[in-house]
Parts: sequence; structure tokens; C-alpha cells
Amino acid sequence: MREIDLFPLWLSLQVAAVSTLFVVLSGVALAWLLARKNFFGREALDALVTLPLVLPPTVLGYYLLVLLGRNGPAGRLFEALTGGQLVFTLRGAVIAASVGALPLMLKTARAAIASVDAQFEDAARTLGKSEWQIFRRVTLPLASRGILAGAMLAFARSLGDFGATLMVAGNIPGRTQTASIAIYDAVQAGRDSQALALVALLSLVAFTLLYATNRLVSASLK
Amino acid sequence: MLNARIRKAFAPTDEADSRPNEEVPSPVGDEASARGDHKVSARDDDRRPARKDGRASGRFVLDVDFNAPPGVTILFGASGAGKTQTLKAIAGLVRPDEGFIAVDGQALFDSSRGVNTPVNRRRVGYVFQNLALFPHMTALENVEFAVGNLPRRERRARARALLERFKVGHTARRRPRAVSGGEAQRVALARALAGEPRLLLLDEPLSALDEAIKLDIIADLKELNRRLRLPILYVTHSRDEALTLGERALVLERGRVVAEGEPHEVFGAPVKASVARLTGVENIFEGEVLSRSEDAGTMLVELHGGAEARGACRVEVPLGRAREGERVCVAVSSGDILLATEEPRGLSARNILAGRVARVEQRAEQTLIHVESGVTWAASVTRQSLREMKIETGKAVWLAFKTYSCRILDS
Repeated sequence: MREIDLFPLWLSLQVAAVSTLFVVLSGVALAWLLARKNFFGREALDALVTLPLVLPPTVLGYYLLVLLGRNGPAGRLFEALTGGQLVFTLRGAVIAASVGALPLMLKTARAAIASVDAQFEDAARTLGKSEWQIFRRVTLPLASRGILAGAMLAFARSLGDFGATLMVAGNIPGRTQTASIAIYDAVQAGRDSQALALVALLSLVAFTLLYATNRLVSASLK
Repeated sequence: MLNARIRKAFAPTDEADSRPNEEVPSPVGDEASARGDHKVSARDDDRRPARKDGRASGRFVLDVDFNAPPGVTILFGASGAGKTQTLKAIAGLVRPDEGFIAVDGQALFDSSRGVNTPVNRRRVGYVFQNLALFPHMTALENVEFAVGNLPRRERRARARALLERFKVGHTARRRPRAVSGGEAQRVALARALAGEPRLLLLDEPLSALDEAIKLDIIADLKELNRRLRLPILYVTHSRDEALTLGERALVLERGRVVAEGEPHEVFGAPVKASVARLTGVENIFEGEVLSRSEDAGTMLVELHGGAEARGACRVEVPLGRAREGERVCVAVSSGDILLATEEPRGLSARNILAGRVARVEQRAEQTLIHVESGVTWAASVTRQSLREMKIETGKAVWLAFKTYSCRILDS
């Protein structure tokens, strides 16, 4: 039996962790905006951000490639600022995973924030609190279970992204070859034990994550 | 002293229900939130019943103008009269279309000058009907959250002192869910006072409590009132609370102040029938209480016109102590009755009676029209109206008068 390479799994975990961080920050801010503010184009914005959930991953990957590529607007800007590239790098993988995971975060967090009784926020206002204090001390804690669930889903989604990551970051072993791509690669090449090991570990990580979050959520209920 | 003149038209329920989220002031800055339109959802408890009776037909206009000196001012009225909306407008949670709100001479809202102090700068203590204690904080944390910008240790000490003052120091470490209704009420009061407000708004603070706890808290509120001398607006539809606590009372009906004065005056605390006759109240009838509506603060009375009258007529009067089936005496001044030659529509008056002119009586300064409508009513009109309306014996007319124009007398 040949040696089993666990590096792709490590890479996936890194991508998922960074992507979840981005997704939680931007997702919660967007969710608050969508749940508490009434502005022109609110539902259009929600639909736009949710689109990656229903588009084929290849379509999403294509858009990202056009946007982030060396001739794309985002890619050119990034290159001008840092001299680096986005496509076929780990950064590209993080962006692909984030865009795919954002809708899950947004949907859960928006519902969680909308379900916080606005009267608590009104009460805090009469107590002299600023909107930021109210968000941090009242809205956020009361919506925390939903937000935690959203973050968990976002992490799981980022961990398993395949199509968009493949198109944007490519399949460079040791650099951008994440676990799900490595599994495909291993199966294609007939390295069954490598595929099996990654499949088993990915499943285990996902299960542990779900289980731990459920425990956490039910504990905070008490 | 609070000065409040508030006018606001609320959109019909259906529209407002389709967007359940309240629009909130912008966190961007005070400039923005001062101009932001704080629309409120129409799901509010205080408004629903106003539509049910059909007359309001989906549109509700709040139009009040009053002052509240330091001390307890009762806002009394049925559900849907606009009591809660009035409090919300004063707190800044609802933006009036037009008006002026000032505390101690400082304008919080002035539509003519474009003043609209954001809610969090108004220093108005507000105890919501359902208290709105933060469920994720302990009682102590709830109060501490409301204490102003002090070092943490001082904040905590002040919060503790406030809880002690309201006799709920023992609940400090408990979440709102784990304290009793009376205790939660006291925690909410402590929290509302933590920011040293200039005005206290209490929305039916005792409605959900047992009688014994109620009396206890009433005693504490009285003590609080003696010490603070803040203007306290106290919303209730309980006459007992109004009479026990209030130094002044305002009666709201369909978004308007229909009576104001000392609670005893306003609630027509029983007056001797003979006194009423002496002071020139022409319409005094005996009747029987058909039904009482604690909620609306009214009761339905069937009047009997004495020996010579054949029929009876039903009127809505303010809630008194009489039980269903008991006899009461109802008095209405002739000057409080409107006369119409066509069936009136769209009036706020709850008593509209059809009848025929029985007799026209000329008196020195006024003309009394006696109208037969089950019982014989006397309404006063000027000579000019008499001519213009072509009132003569036998003509079909309608009488209209407000619930609060009816007074219950000791017979």
C-alpha cells in the first residue's frame, strides 16, 4: 500500500476556517441589514447573494474566473495592490468557498435576527443605547444560536466545495488541491486507499462538527 | 412637565401587516436617524380593536394635546384608543406626522422646526406592557445595562441598589424567565429608572398581576412618585388603578382626549341625582345595566322613561360599579347632545338615537327640543339652529352624544 497523503485535508480545513471567518463577518452584517432595514432593492440583494446556492458550481466558478482572473476587474485590482494573483492560488480557493457558503450563513442569520422581537431593541433604545451597542448586546446574543448554526453550515459547505474551487484554484497538488479535489483525483488515478482515507476523514470531521454544534446549541438553550 | 401635541394617521392594517418588521433608526448617526421615518408596524395591540368595530374602517388617527406635570397622570381608555401609540410617540418609537413634544421646556420633537431627538437621547423611562426584559441577561445585568456610562464596578453597585430599592435584590442572578410576574415588574421598573429619566412611561404595568401584588406595587409606585416627582404617564383601563394612583387623568377615545381632570371628576364618581337636577342636567333616567365591558371601560344601560313613557332605549355609558341587572341613574346634560336632521355618520359619539320631536320649549337663553326616542330627551339648540334646521313637532331627528357625556348618579 502506497503512502496516504493527508495534506489535502489539512488544506481544506485551512480554507474552510478562513472562509468561515469571512462568511460570518459579512453574512451577519448583511443579515442584519436585510432583516432590520427597509431599503430599495433589499430582496434583489438577498437573491443575488443567495444565487450561488442554486447555480451549478461550474457556472459559479466561471463567473469567479472571469471576475478574479488576471484580466478581470477584481484580479487586476488585486494584482495592482499586492502584485499577487487570485486565480490558481489558495486565496482563490478561499474566495470560491466563501461565495458558495455565504448564502447558507445569510439565510440562517437573517431568519435568526428577524425572529428577535424588535421590542427588545426598542427597549434598549429607550435605555439610551446606541445602535451598535444594541446590536452587540441585544440582537446578536438573542440571535446567536441561529448565527452559530449558520457558521457551522458555512464551514461544512466550505470544507466540501468542489466545482467552483476546481475552476478558480485549479488542481495543483500541494498548493490548491483540497480534499474533495484530491478524492476525485485519487479515484481517477485508481488510488483507492487514498480516496477512502480522505472520504472517511472528511466524513468524520463533518460529523464531529455537526454533533459538537448540536450539543452547543442545546446547551445554550438551557 | 411634559407637553405633548401629537398627530399621526396610521395606515390601514392590511398594508402595514405585509411588512412586519419595524423600521429602526439608522445607526449611521443622529442626523440620519433624526430624519429617518420610524414607521411602526400595525400589529400593535393598542390598535387592533379600533378597526374591529368597523367605524374606524382601517384608518386610525391619533390626535392628542395635553400636558403632564410631575406626578402620576393616568391615560385611560379602551383598547385601541391610542394610549400605547401616545407613549411610543413620546418615547420616540413612533414619529408623529405633526406635533410638539417637550420635557421641562426642552423640545424632543417639533415638526415645525424639524426637531426629532433620537430615542436613545430622550432620557425617557419606558416600561413596556410585556416588560421586554432581556431574556439573555440576569435581572442585575438588565438593570446594569441601563445604567449610564460609569466604571463597571459603580454600574454594578448602582444596579444592585436599584434592585434592592424595588425589593427584588434576591433576583439579581436570575434570568427574567425565572422570576415571578410581580418581581419581573419591579425589575422592569428598576431598569427604566436606571438611566435617570426625566419622564416615566408605564404601559399597563399591573394588568397581569394578582390583586395582592398589585396593591403592593401600587404602594411602592406612590412612594416612588413622592420621592422623584417626575412626570409619570400611566396607561391603564382599570378605574381602580386610575382612582388610586392618579393625580390627573386623561380619557382617550378613538385617538382623542375626550375628558381630562382629576380622576374623581373624570370618572364621574357618583353624584347625587338631586344635585345633578339642581345644576341643570335635564336628562336623568333610571335604567338597568344590560352588560359591562371591563375592556372597553363602558357598560350598556337600558333606560326607562318613567310612568308616561311607553318604551325604553339603550345607551353606552362609562363603566360604573353597578353589576349587570342592577338599576342605575344616568344623567346627560342637554348641552352635550347633538341634534341632526339626517342620520349622522362617521361620528365618534357612541350613542346615536333616532327619534321624533315631541315639543319645542323656548327658554330665556336657549331652546330645548324634547325628542321622543323610547324615553324623552331634551337637547338644547340655539334659535338660529332651530330656524335653519326647520325643527318642528313631529319631525324625525337623530340625537348623538358621547359615552363620557353620560354620568352615573346615585339614585
